[in-house]
Amino acid sequence: MRLLEKTNRIYLLFSVILYLATALAFYGIIKWLIYDEVENRLLVEKRDFQLYIQHYGWTANSYFVENKIEVELGSVPSGFKESFKDTLIEDRYTQKLVPFRQLTFYESIKGVEHRVAIRKSMIQSYRLMEAITFTMATVLALLLAGTYWFQDRLSGRIWQPFYETLSRIKQFDLVRGQHLQLDQPDIIEFRELNEVLQKMSDQILHDYLHLKEFTENASHELQTPLALITAKVEELIQSEHLTENQTRWIQTIYEASLRMSRLYQGLLLLARIENRQFANEQPINLSDQLLERLRDMEELFQYKGIRLHTNIDAPFWVNLPPVLAENLITNLVSNALRHNVPQGEIWLYATDSDLCLSNTGHPLQNAPKDLFSRFKKEGVSSESVGLGLSIVKEICDQYGLQIHYTEQEGIHKFCLSNKTVVA
Amino acid sequence: MKMLVVEDEQGLAESISAYLSREGYRCEMAATYAEADEKMYLYEYDCVIVDLTLPGGDGLQLIETLKKRTASTGIIIISARNALEDRIKGLEVGSDDYLTKPFHLSELNARVKSLIRRRNFGGHNEIQYREILVQVQARKVFVNQQETVLSRKEYDLLLYFLANIDVALTKASIAEHLWGDHIDSADSLDMVYSHIKNLRRKLVEKGSGDYIRSIYGIGYKFGTA
Repeated sequence: MRLLEKTNRIYLLFSVILYLATALAFYGIIKWLIYDEVENRLLVEKRDFQLYIQHYGWTANSYFVENKIEVELGSVPSGFKESFKDTLIEDRYTQKLVPFRQLTFYESIKGVEHRVAIRKSMIQSYRLMEAITFTMATVLALLLAGTYWFQDRLSGRIWQPFYETLSRIKQFDLVRGQHLQLDQPDIIEFRELNEVLQKMSDQILHDYLHLKEFTENASHELQTPLALITAKVEELIQSEHLTENQTRWIQTIYEASLRMSRLYQGLLLLARIENRQFANEQPINLSDQLLERLRDMEELFQYKGIRLHTNIDAPFWVNLPPVLAENLITNLVSNALRHNVPQGEIWLYATDSDLCLSNTGHPLQNAPKDLFSRFKKEGVSSESVGLGLSIVKEICDQYGLQIHYTEQEGIHKFCLSNKTVVA
Repeated sequence: MKMLVVEDEQGLAESISAYLSREGYRCEMAATYAEADEKMYLYEYDCVIVDLTLPGGDGLQLIETLKKRTASTGIIIISARNALEDRIKGLEVGSDDYLTKPFHLSELNARVKSLIRRRNFGGHNEIQYREILVQVQARKVFVNQQETVLSRKEYDLLLYFLANIDVALTKASIAEHLWGDHIDSADSLDMVYSHIKNLRRKLVEKGSGDYIRSIYGIGYKFGTA
């Protein structure tokens, strides 16, 4: 629920309750006032009546209007109290029931007990009450609706900078390297919020770019010293007078420098994929390329005694820069080879929606979720730098592919599929 | 053959020129853009090895000016930049080859030789080493005038050896030469061994001398020394 919706709802509920209470109170007060007035009048008329019968007595042809007074024989019942009550009496002409207020009391006329009821028609008063209540209710309702509408618009406008900020933050993408641009609203709180956010995002962006630059530069600048090391080692091994120990040390230095170079090349590649520095995306038949690569490596399979099974139902197409497609395949294949067992097997299975490469292998030592993390190596094989699958994952993430890993009875399976494109 | 090595890293430049000098090339060095520009203006070289990031300027610029002046000079770029765009740009301005740092000197040497061969003979040439004759264009190998059929990898291996005679070659450099740098597992080193075994057998069978020697812990050497 949005903030405005929430406040509006509370406001609405509160004002409806208030409105009902006010309307009821209003109705009650008016009714009380009118009754009070009518009852006072009735009491006055009672006094008039008493004075009248003292002087004239009661005769049937009274000057009192019909329905206004009713006199009949009757004695005071025990516990009687003079009281007012509402009653309905049929109008003689219209045959409609008309509301009356009636005061009943007992009076002795010429020594005979009589029950007297004096009435006053309430029809006019009721009309008045209805008119007043209706008017009040309408005016109140209009007022309510008006304030609600006003409040809605007002808070909508007041909160507008906030929503603007929110949408800008949502669009903010670190990778694109653009600064977050926020307005300077008049409201102090929002302005402060924007300032803080601006400062924070600038700092984050700054750090991010710095780190990126560092990775790139470090990877790049390290290649020259590494080239120097390998060159010098190569010169050194030309010497004829090396002892066995020296040879071993040199070999170690050489291998370490090669590994380091591969490591930095891997990191550099990852950084470049993250920055989307590869142009020239095009449709590529990945299953065909993968098959071709596997055929190219036939000698290696033979050498390791690995059997290859392929089953391509339909070509699997992806949209990738060719360099990255090449990289993806290389890493998947060398992964399937490196973690294979002697006399193992590799399966390639492709449909137009999936491309799966599975291989026999030892059970995983790390958690499957760490499989794609950087530097999570299976085992201690020193020739692997532990970046291959992270590169695969990064390529997939950046170019709308999904990679899925499953393991069943010693068979490790990597499946690629195109993310469903939302049209 | 006159070569110019344009590389600002002194040690690397020395190594390259020492390695190439041993192959019989006359090597000169330039450490800055201005120095390289001046040397290229004053002298004519058969082959120039250029680093792209130089003090005082961009190597690509250097290649462009050189190409305008003497188009016949062979150019090999050595760079730490490994992006495809850099490679393409390098080839566009007129370089003949592109090597990414770090590289093997033996690989650089093989590329230099192949480049010079292409430039001088248009590829129609032969490499002779004692009784072994390689027809480069036809990709055919003869031992004592008898043709020896080699697999693609064995042929590449032989050519690599012939470019680096009497030089100790590391297994890693051989593996990289044969399969590119995307094979980095220990298997490739074993495969190097198996290819060398086959090549050796095929050559010796036709009556060639056994020129391939293994050097303990390092790799192999082709030659008589």
